Parts: sequence; structure tokens; C-alpha cells
Amino acid sequence: MAAQPSPSDRREAARERAFTAASLVAAVALVATIALFLVQLLITSRTSRAAFGLPFLWHSEWNPVTEKFGALPMIVGTLVTGFGALLISTPFALGIAIFLADYAGRKVAEPIKYLIGLLGGLPSVIFGLWGLFVLVPIVGKFEVWFGKLVGSEALVASGTTGVGLLAAILLLAIMILPFSASLILESLLVVPTELKEGALALGATKWDMIQNVELPYVRKSTVGALVLSLGRALGETMAVTMVIGNGMKMPTTLFDPANTLASAIANQFLEATSPVYIGSLIQLALILFVIAIIINVLARVILRRGIQQ
Amino acid sequence: MTSRKLKNGVMGFLVAASAVLLIAVLVVIVWHIFILGVKYLNWDFFTKTPTPMGESGGGVFNAIVGTFLITLMAAAIGTPFGMFAGIYVAEHRGQRFAGVVRLCADALQGVPSIVIGIFGYTFLVVRFRSYSALSASVALAFMFVPTTTRVTEEVLNLVPSGLKEAAYALGARRSSVVWNVSIKTAAAGITSGLLTSMARIAGETAPLLFTAFGSRYVEWNMLRPMSALPLQIFVNASSPYPALQQQAWSAAFVLVLLILLLQYGAKHLIARVLRVKA
Repeated sequence: MAAQPSPSDRREAARERAFTAASLVAAVALVATIALFLVQLLITSRTSRAAFGLPFLWHSEWNPVTEKFGALPMIVGTLVTGFGALLISTPFALGIAIFLADYAGRKVAEPIKYLIGLLGGLPSVIFGLWGLFVLVPIVGKFEVWFGKLVGSEALVASGTTGVGLLAAILLLAIMILPFSASLILESLLVVPTELKEGALALGATKWDMIQNVELPYVRKSTVGALVLSLGRALGETMAVTMVIGNGMKMPTTLFDPANTLASAIANQFLEATSPVYIGSLIQLALILFVIAIIINVLARVILRRGIQQ
Repeated sequence: MTSRKLKNGVMGFLVAASAVLLIAVLVVIVWHIFILGVKYLNWDFFTKTPTPMGESGGGVFNAIVGTFLITLMAAAIGTPFGMFAGIYVAEHRGQRFAGVVRLCADALQGVPSIVIGIFGYTFLVVRFRSYSALSASVALAFMFVPTTTRVTEEVLNLVPSGLKEAAYALGARRSSVVWNVSIKTAAAGITSGLLTSMARIAGETAPLLFTAFGSRYVEWNMLRPMSALPLQIFVNASSPYPALQQQAWSAAFVLVLLILLLQYGAKHLIARVLRVKA
């Protein structure tokens, strides 16, 4: 005799279905979000594409008065600040990670790891505040000194502000340091102890071991970590906005005021009134979005390969 | 001394030096926030609203209220999505679509905050023809969901499979195993993840610029423009008036305290989870 499902059984089955549906809906929503962003940004930036087309990407004039917009100064600004910051911070990030993995004992490593977490958790706008009132004046003094050194009147004169590419690069380097250091540390910590001890037992010095065993082992995941850090630096908004000087022209030296894709949007979006201006700023956001997605997916793939290896 | 040993010594010195440099930079930054933040702090700062540009006095009560409302609302909107998506990924581990969901969560975490702000503007503010705190919360929820998804998944993966198998052996359904066994075991870990995500979005500025917009008044209505501490820091720091710039330092100090408090709560909970497991 087949048992009839009792009311409580049916209730449980309904709950089961609702639960499965809810988790599926949330998962699908997450994936759909990426598509939604892309479509929304594409639709709202169409005025810019209608006016400038693809040359938007390589035209170097950005002029709100004549309403001629080309993204090249911002693309250059983004790449220079991003790669500049990565170049400066990478040796330190490697050094810190190696120090924590191989040199520091628990009692030293734990507080430093906590401090790295603290630095990484500070909001961008607070780095911007500090950068604007502490770092920028220092950069300004350096600019005046450097200007006198090379005999450039223009540098001495503009050094009174200190805002520009160099200030943005230095601030970004500080901001991505905790991020890349902790990612590299994570991969260093999975290097098998037997490998390290084997090298030491064969008479290698500590640095021999690090150079010939540890670093080759984590090469791929370190590249992944650096790509992720670069992604962070390229999209960083508030801190850069506050110290880069909102320059509209193509920068010619590291001391010039400039803009990144992100800072141009933050600086100008509320002032933009015409549809073409607004569309062009949203177009910058679209470029930034696509770059960010590509870099993050690429970094995850590299990191996963690094772990599997 | 051989060159190998010399190199060993030099490199050891260099890696230690880079760690010292990091600590030095951090101490300088925290020192400024602490010293300048406390110096300009007074009772009015917490209880009053901003005075008109250029006049001294006033406070940021409006921004403190705004930060709490916007952050809590964002967490309320984002938690169900983030948690259920995390449950989905954990329960379908190894399947292709679950991998896609995880990759999307990672990619979404990497989307620059200003892009999220622009999206919030075009998607909500334009549609409802008004800046509002609610549109800011929705924008922040887009940052809250992916972190919550990843944390939920990670914590659920820590639940011992023996525990789940025992429940299945007793005839429990999947929903009841997830709710009554997995989630309950992982509750502290998930809460900790939620607090960490909240600490992250509480300090975000760029998504608020074109959504919450800011307001000089204490605003409780989520459908109207509202201020928040990060916005206030940005606006005050960019102003030419020393009194407002000083207020930015105090606001930064209060914001950092709030974030540290949330992170401390998260850490405390995680420590408890690890103790229970051990």
C-alpha cells in the first residue's frame, strides 16, 4: 500500500523547492549582473559613440568647451599611474612577503600581518586625504628642487601645487602594497617544507634557497598576484582623484596634472550637462569596466594554474 | 666570506628593510589620522550639521546618520543574494555553472567603485529622477554581494562533510541540511564575513558621489539625497577652507574607528569559530 504524502511532507517539499529556486535565482542574478552592467553602460554611452566612433580611443583632445572628446590622455594617465605604482611597489611587496614567510618568527610576523590588513582596509578617500595634505606638499618640494636642478622654470613654478602624476603614482604604490604583499605571501606559504629543507640540507644559504627553490615555485602565482594588484591600481578612484590634479591635456612629464579614466569621471561627471559630455564620461567607465573584467579573469586563471602546478 | 654568504646577508637585510619601511609608512598615516583627527574633534562635531561654506563650527551628524543608514540598507539588500549565491556555489561544487558563478563574483569584486557609481546613476537615479540614499545602497549592494558570496562559500566548505552526511542518512532533505546543519555550524563565520563586507562598503566614496549625492541636513528618508562620512571627507578635503579641512581629518578618524570596530567584531567571531573547531 503506497503511503499518501502527509501535509508536513508536502510542506517540506515546497520548502525544498523554494530553497533550490532561491539559490539558483541568486546565482543567476550574480552572473546576469555582469551582463546588466555591460548593456547599461553601452546604452547610456551611445551619444559619445555616435559623435566620435572608435577614434574616441586614440584622440588626444578632451575639451568640454568645444565638446570634442578623446580618451587618450585618460588612458595614458591610467596606464602610467597603474604600471608606475606596480613598478615601485613590487620589490617592496616581494621583500615583505619573503621576510614574513622565511625570516620573521610568529611573534614578529603576526603583528605585521595585522598591520598589513589594517593598511589594506583603509578607505580610498582617507588615503586621498593623507595624500593631499601630507604627500602632495612633499612632492611639490621635490618638484621645485628637481626643477632648480635641471634649470626648468616651469617645474619650479608648478611645484607650488605638487598635484599630478607623480603624487598619484606614489600614493597608489602605497595603496596596492598591502594587497600584493599578502597575495604573494599566501603563495609563498604553500611551498612544501621538504623542498626548502632539502635545499638547506644541501648547503644552500637561506637566500640561495629562496632564489632557486622558493621563487621559481611561486612564479606563476606571483604573476597572478601582480596582475590583480595592477587591476586594483587601474581602477582606484578617490585617492587618485584627490591628488592627480584633474588635468585635461596629454601629460608630458611625471609632474604634470593629469587624469585617469576613473578620476576624470569622479572629477567631471557632476559638471557634465550636455548629452555628449555625459555619454563620453560613461564611455570612459565602459572602457574601465572592460579592462577590469579582463584583468580579473586573467589573474584568476593564472592564479589557479599556479596552484594546480 | 664567500660571495654567496655576502649575498645572503645583503638580501636578508633588504627584505627586513622593506618590512620596516611598510611599518613606517603605516605608522605615519595612522599617526596623522589619529593626531589631527582627535585634535579637531569636539562635541559639536557629533551633534551638529555643517555650517554654510567658510563659517567655522558645525559638525557632521548628518553624515554619521547617513553612513549608518546607507551601509545597513546595502547589507540588508545584499545579504540574501550573496548568501544564497554562496550556498549555490558551495552545494554545486565542481559543476561548471557553479564555477562560472564564482568567477563572476571574483570579477565583480574587481569592478572599480566609480563604475559601480556610474551604473547606479544611469540605472536608478536617472530612472527615478532623483538622487537618493536608496540608490546609493543598491550601488553598494553590488559590492557587498560578491564578497558575501565568496565568504559564504568558503565557510560552508569548512563544515565537516561527516556532519552533513549524518543528517542525510537520517533522511533530511537538502534544504534542511543546509539550513539546520551547514548554516548553523557556519553561522559565526558567515556573520563575520558580513561584518567584513560592511567594513569595506562603509568607507566607499565613489559609488555615493552620483547616487546619495550628499545633503547638509540630517536626513532619515532613504528616497532623498543623503550625506555619508566618506562623502563628507571628500567634499571637505577639496574645499579651500581650513575649518572644513580640519573637519575632514576628524571625520576620517571617526570613519577609521567605525571600520576597525566592524573588523574587530569580525575577527572576534572568526576566533570563536576556530576555537570551536579545534
